Amino acid sequence: MKFSVEAWAPEYGTSMEVINATSEAVVDASVETAPSQWGPVTPSPGRRPPETVLFTDGVRRVDASVWLEGSEGTVRPAICASYSAGAVRCDGRAEVVAADVRRGLFCFPNHDATGISTRYAQYPVCSAGGETPEQLALALQLHMGRLEVSVAECAPADLIVVDGPLTGRLNIPGAVGYVKTHHVAYLPPGLHTVIGKLESGQRTPVFMMTSSTWSKFSWYLRLPGPPGSHWAGVVRCESNADLEVKGVVELADSVTAMLPRFASAGHKDPRAPQNLYPIAGLERQLRRRLGDPALLYRGLREAAMRG
Amino acid sequence: MSESGTGRSPEHVGRVLGTEDSTPLSFWVGLGEDQYLQLDEVVATERPLPGREPVHVYGVVSQVRALHEGARFDSDVFLIEDGVLPGHISEAAQVTVTRVEPEVFVPPLPGIGVRRAEGKERDQALFFDGMDKRLPAGLMRDNEPLFVNLEFLDGTRGAHVNISGISGVATKTTYATFLLYGLFNSGVLGAEAVNTKALIFNVKGEDLLFLDHPNIQLTDEGKDRYRRLGLEAGPFKSAAFYAPPRLGDANAAPDVTTRTEGVTSFFWTLAEFCADELLPFLFADAEDDRQHYTMVIYNVAAKLKLAIALDEGGVQLEGVAIRTFNQLVDFISGRVQDDPDWAGPAIGAGTVNAFIRRLHGAVRPLGRLIRGDVPNAAKHKVQLEQQVTVVDIHNLPDRAKRFVVGVIIRRTFDEKERAGQARPLLFLVLDELNKYAPREGSSPIKEILLDVAERGRSLGVILVGAQQTASEVEGRIIGQSSIRVVGRLDSAEAERGQYGFLRGAHRERVTIIKPGTMMLSQPEIPVPLVLEFPFPAWASRPSEAGKNPTARPAPEDPFEGLPRA
Repeated sequence: MKFSVEAWAPEYGTSMEVINATSEAVVDASVETAPSQWGPVTPSPGRRPPETVLFTDGVRRVDASVWLEGSEGTVRPAICASYSAGAVRCDGRAEVVAADVRRGLFCFPNHDATGISTRYAQYPVCSAGGETPEQLALALQLHMGRLEVSVAECAPADLIVVDGPLTGRLNIPGAVGYVKTHHVAYLPPGLHTVIGKLESGQRTPVFMMTSSTWSKFSWYLRLPGPPGSHWAGVVRCESNADLEVKGVVELADSVTAMLPRFASAGHKDPRAPQNLYPIAGLERQLRRRLGDPALLYRGLREAAMRG
Repeated sequence: MSESGTGRSPEHVGRVLGTEDSTPLSFWVGLGEDQYLQLDEVVATERPLPGREPVHVYGVVSQVRALHEGARFDSDVFLIEDGVLPGHISEAAQVTVTRVEPEVFVPPLPGIGVRRAEGKERDQALFFDGMDKRLPAGLMRDNEPLFVNLEFLDGTRGAHVNISGISGVATKTTYATFLLYGLFNSGVLGAEAVNTKALIFNVKGEDLLFLDHPNIQLTDEGKDRYRRLGLEAGPFKSAAFYAPPRLGDANAAPDVTTRTEGVTSFFWTLAEFCADELLPFLFADAEDDRQHYTMVIYNVAAKLKLAIALDEGGVQLEGVAIRTFNQLVDFISGRVQDDPDWAGPAIGAGTVNAFIRRLHGAVRPLGRLIRGDVPNAAKHKVQLEQQVTVVDIHNLPDRAKRFVVGVIIRRTFDEKERAGQARPLLFLVLDELNKYAPREGSSPIKEILLDVAERGRSLGVILVGAQQTASEVEGRIIGQSSIRVVGRLDSAEAERGQYGFLRGAHRERVTIIKPGTMMLSQPEIPVPLVLEFPFPAWASRPSEAGKNPTARPAPEDPFEGLPRA
């Protein structure tokens, strides 16, 4: 029996969830190449990678789950969370150029919610669409996304690589979404096999995805790494659908040529090679800046006791 | 260290770290962007206290480090330099506290600003403000003077200097002469400086025979360094030089090759040898109780005391006229073998033979130093008339060195004891202490050095001792020294307990410091301070020697030194 070992450390799952879900999005595979001509694309070697690349990322952490007691004796769930977004600019040296930390009390808005103040931090009220854990988590995710957008906007660069899908961040100009994990098979089965044929540094032709709320250009590319499964080292990139096709193809080439340089090595990152060095470094710094969780937790408990 | 604005005030170099323990004795400072601290720099900070005045904390930088924050693997350095991984260079300095004022021992709080101590603050940090009489001991890394409290040198609260270091690289003797130069010329001794004397034993080359010549290789920059120390560069103004007589030279001309005038030869007459009981100094282990023959030494010495002095320093013993040391040794050997009165009661033949064997061993090394065949012998006696007296023993065999050092020190010590007052001071500079006062065993020379170390403080005799390895020297001598100085040390030696005052980084550094750099420990300052001393303003070899401003006239006898017909 032939098998390959997943490159990611087991606690991170796999870079490719078992894909049996197909996307609801409509895929147009003929944007760059006719589907019958589909095959791996090697960016032309003469292409110069962009000089300044900005990598943005955000991290979030729930510092404590809390129960808000209303004046009429009701008790409602909420979370106190810290989130942060930052950017690394790579232009010969990698430097964290922006990092912003926020905290919030995520709850279904209510007129007597006032925010929480502790010895170490402030948690202003951030409204969520509901009270279920999923809704609270989504609100946190949205706030973090917004912070990411604002961070990305304040640092000019030739190319901005956003960690994760572009959803919610489509309005960052020149941004490319960088997706490490694949939950959904976007391509029809016939074209899907092209992904398995990609060599490191190659990409698939650009395709377009359209759903009821958004439309994006996308392409798959393979990062350098040890041989593994068909999907080892494969990432998917996204860009804004407002671009012209020629521009997107150029962007796809340029990103495909540029990213392998930042791919991480297996002994340094449990999610190698997809977890890029600048993003991993940024993530560590952002986590550090979220503050010590034990200390924040202590502060919250203390504040709760004080009433 | 800074992350997007650490709120630095311009006078601060950094802030106390909160990731390393801050203690009342040592703390770390994270350095601000574009700031640096180097080893040995002096810093100051304040710790506010509720309800009382703040505590001023002063210290000296004892370690500095830099690292990449954000790097987890060694190889991340390449990623960071390639511009792939974000990394931040963080620089921090460890400060060893020297002074806490008022003495409330609380740690400086993380986050408080730390500044370089300059001017008055630096003086406070290093206790210079409380020194009534301060002796310049060198320049610190910031090119500011380092002072030694004279009270710990002149016997008021302590005395003696001990210098350790590898020969040739540690520049021990040069530093000792520099200290003397400072003593005589900085004004720290006041009017006493004129009568204060120094006796230096020159053990290496003829280095010290040009102390009275200006050094023509001293640059203007070098002169400036003297000025920074409050000194005017120049040679020793008042110096006398003694060297052993040349072997086989009937006139006892000094055995020196590089200096032709101004050096007097020294020796002892047989009459002095007998009258002053110098015989025990011929034997390194004369006080060793396990050796039977030591009884013979003292018996014979008592007999020699009865000698009658002849002219030219000869002696007459039991009717026999003796003119040379060889004759004296032969005479003694004959007597101890034949006359039980000389050897002493109940002394076996084996013991007598042991004595004779050792006595004969002294003839070659000491024949030229103990004699009765030169007229006007009095002028060949080492006299401490000038401010500095250099006694050259470098080309003498070990046995002769021990004799010369032992006898001269005993004589000067006895004279000082008789004078009964400590002032003016007498400084004794002696290198190779391990030869004269080794850790193990006992000898007349070691006894006299111990006497100097233990009682010299009250008698005004200050020992400036030096050795390659303090571990080989009698602990009581090192222990009595208030001022300890080390130059470059061998790494195995640096680990020994004798250098307990060097801690951590200092101990590692002492194995690499270059010539002209020393570490000095003095009782008031809890950390050793690193200093550089200026290039000697006096010549240490003929090529450096300028014209001697106090040159003496040519000798009366132009043929001095030539054998007489």
